[in-house]
Amino acid sequence: MAVSRGRNKFSTPKSAGLIITSLIDFFSIVVVYLMKSYSSEGSILTNADNLVLPNSFSTMKPKEIHVQIAATTDMVLVDNNPVVPTEDVRKIPQENPNPVVPQLEQALQKTKKQEEDMVKLGAMNEMEGTATIQIDKNVEFDVLYKIMHTCAMAGYLKMNFAVMEREL
Amino acid sequence: MGQMARKKSVEDSEDMSIDLKPFINFLVVLIPVLMLSSEFAKISIINLKLPEGRGSNTEEAQKVRPLDDESDKLLLTMIITDSVVTIGAKNGFLPSLFYKEFHHYVAAEDRRVEVTVEYDPKNPGKSVKNPKTGKPFKLSERQEIFLYVADENYQVQKCLYTKDALMLTDADGRPMTSVKTGDTIWLVTNPRRQVVITDPSQYELKPLMAYDEMKNRLMKIKERYREARDADDIIIAAENQVAYDKIVQLMDVARTADFPNISIAKLRG
Repeated sequence: MAVSRGRNKFSTPKSAGLIITSLIDFFSIVVVYLMKSYSSEGSILTNADNLVLPNSFSTMKPKEIHVQIAATTDMVLVDNNPVVPTEDVRKIPQENPNPVVPQLEQALQKTKKQEEDMVKLGAMNEMEGTATIQIDKNVEFDVLYKIMHTCAMAGYLKMNFAVMEREL
Repeated sequence: MGQMARKKSVEDSEDMSIDLKPFINFLVVLIPVLMLSSEFAKISIINLKLPEGRGSNTEEAQKVRPLDDESDKLLLTMIITDSVVTIGAKNGFLPSLFYKEFHHYVAAEDRRVEVTVEYDPKNPGKSVKNPKTGKPFKLSERQEIFLYVADENYQVQKCLYTKDALMLTDADGRPMTSVKTGDTIWLVTNPRRQVVITDPSQYELKPLMAYDEMKNRLMKIKERYREARDADDIIIAAENQVAYDKIVQLMDVARTADFPNISIAKLRG
């Protein structure tokens, strides 16, 4: 008896509406979460699939990228063009006081020339000479050192390391 | 007039809910817009400040700029090899920090398969097997490298940590292994924070991370040599086979300890 009365009460609701409160709650949380990771600038640096960048607490954002050097565990790239296998970089003797990677130096000299031409044409204000280096976190220091040295020899004296921002 | 108002309020009370449809429509539009413009993996940069003349051994640079007088400089250097991290300065070296290295692997095809193994620097080529497939892990599946401080018997040293991974030290900056209610301790953040213990069970005894101890030591040096001309500079010197990840972590440590001008050097021999 009591059961049937209860069913009657529910089968004839006064307004057949969705329970929307929980949906709104959910949406509000999603909106807040998305706002947290919102960026108006987008990202000007992208990394290759096989390149795992190290995590860091740095929050400094890249403003301009002039030349981008990437070193994965098997290839060194300049502006996304493969230049020299990383294995060849490793083969350069470690005792060498002047460890320059010839192919990389050539590629960098070419980009430097392009940058200088841009300055002459007035497309750029001044020669920046900044290289952004993306290195796989499992690559050893030896390769990093040789790449940095080659950058310096090719005239890129300012260097930045790209890292993946660690979530706090 | 009064009658009408009363009538209206009676109607309202029958259907009290606000019309949420436009709001939901708005949210449905807003969410895709935000999703499109949000960044989930943020890439940032670390600025290197390479010293001019010194450090870079380009002949040109050394000719243009003679080495300046370094008598009042600190020349702080952090040295990392495959089992030791040390801080050195012009006047000498601090005691070395021996560490044990642990590698944390996560399988790429199944993220639930996780393994943490001790790494033997004398046997670098040794591969770690995936327990599920039996195949060795790839290098790109190495998620994290943990460096734990080892004592003179080559055992991992422990230290108390807070829930948000801050190291506890005493007033002299030594890591603490036990506390009781009423003790005064210092948390290794920059600047150091003094805390009086109210509930010792809040703190966990964990292996002491070499990066945390390094930060602790660097902060002590910073407090002492604030006057030096190169008080913001640090050189990170590494051996050839040290993984790039460790160098970036040490750069983080240096930056959080207030040494923003980081340069990199090679350890010879």
